[in-house]
Amino acid sequence: MADVVVVPQVQPVQPALRFVRLIPGVLLLAGIGYAGKLLEQNVGKYAKAHQWLFPNIEYVLWAILLGLVISNTIGVPEIFRSGVATYEFWLKAGIVLLGARFLLGDILKLGGVSLVLVAIEITGAIAFMTFLGRAFHLKPKLTSLLAVGSAVCGVSAIIAAQGAIEADEEDSSFSIAAILALGALALFTFPLIGHALHLGDRAYGIWAGLAVDNTAEATAAGALYSDAAGKLAVLVKSTRNAMIGFVVLAYAIYWASQGQAKTVRNKAAFLWQKFPKFVLGFLLISVLATYQFFNKDQVGALANLSRWAFLLTFAGVGLRTNFRDMRKQGLRPFAVGAIGEVVIAVFTLGLVVGAEKLFGF
Amino acid sequence: MSSEDKAVQVKKPWRLSLDGWAVVIALLAALLVRAGVLNHIPW
Repeated sequence: MADVVVVPQVQPVQPALRFVRLIPGVLLLAGIGYAGKLLEQNVGKYAKAHQWLFPNIEYVLWAILLGLVISNTIGVPEIFRSGVATYEFWLKAGIVLLGARFLLGDILKLGGVSLVLVAIEITGAIAFMTFLGRAFHLKPKLTSLLAVGSAVCGVSAIIAAQGAIEADEEDSSFSIAAILALGALALFTFPLIGHALHLGDRAYGIWAGLAVDNTAEATAAGALYSDAAGKLAVLVKSTRNAMIGFVVLAYAIYWASQGQAKTVRNKAAFLWQKFPKFVLGFLLISVLATYQFFNKDQVGALANLSRWAFLLTFAGVGLRTNFRDMRKQGLRPFAVGAIGEVVIAVFTLGLVVGAEKLFGF
Repeated sequence: MSSEDKAVQVKKPWRLSLDGWAVVIALLAALLVRAGVLNHIPW
C-alpha cells in the first residue's frame, strides 16, 4: 500500500481580495501626503499674514512628520498595514517615471562619475563595517548584514543577503532596525549639514545618494534639500542599488567557502534575480525621453506623476518608523551602525567634495 | 521506500515581483500620457 503523505492545504487569498485589502492603507498614504502638500502651501501663508517667524517647511518633511506622529502615538491600525507597505511600490514606480527627466547623456556623464564614487564607497564601507563588527564582537553574519546594508542599499540588500548567506531572522531584524533608525536620523541631519556647508544641489544630491542607506530615505533626504538634489540622489542611489547582486554574490561565495551557506551554482541567474528591475525601467524611460518619444508637456506630466508617487512614499517612510520597536532591538548593533554611518558620511562627503574639484560637476 | 523519496516537488507559480509591478505600472502610465489619455497631471 502506498504511503499517504498529508500536505496541509493553505487556502490562497484571492487576488481581488488582496487588492481590496490594500485600499485603506493606500488612501491613508495619499491622505497624509496630500495633507503635507496643503500644510506646505498654507502654513507659510498663515505665518506670513500674522507676521510670525516660521521656517518654510516643504511637503516632504510635513508628510514624513505627520506619518511619524501617527506611527508613534496611536500607531497604524491593522486595516491600514498592508496598504501602507505599498510605499516601496510607489517609490519604485516614482523612480521609473523620474527617468523622463534625465537625458541619456546626463546619465552616462553623472552615472560614470557616480559609478566610480559608488565603487569606492562600497569598498570602504564594507571594510570599515567589518572592522567595527569584529571590534564590537558582533556575530560574523550580523556583521556581514550590517556591512551589506550600509554599503549598498539598506533593507533590500539585507533581505537579499539574509537568504544568500543563511543568516538568522534575528540578525536580519537587528540590522534592518539599525539601518532604518539611522536612515530616519539622516533625513533630518543631512539637509542641515548640507546647508551649513553651503553644498551645491549637485554635490549634496550625490552625497545623499552615496551615504543614506535606504532608497526611500535617500530620495526624501535629497528632496528635502531641493528638487535638483532629489533627482541626483535618486540617480546615485539607483547606481548603488544596481550593485546589490554583485555584493550579495561575493558574500554568498565567502560564506559557502566557510561551509556555512549553500554554494551558488548559476551565478548569472543569481545576479539577475537580485538585480533591481526598476533601474532598467528608469533607463528605458530615460532612453524614450532622450529620443523625444514624449513631448515637453508629456515629460512635465510624467515628472508630476513621479512626484505624486514619491508623496505616497514619504508618508509611508513616516508611518513605518516606530521608535519604540527600534529601541527593543538592542544597543550594540545600533552603536556599530551609528559609528559606521557617521564615518561613511564623512568619508563620502570628502569623496564628493574631492570629485567636485576634479570633475567640476 | 521512505516518504522523503516520494516528496513531490511543488513548483511555485511564477509571479511578478514588486519591482516588476512598479515597472509595468509606470510604463503603462507613461504610455497613457504618450497616447494623450492622461494629458494633464497637476501638481
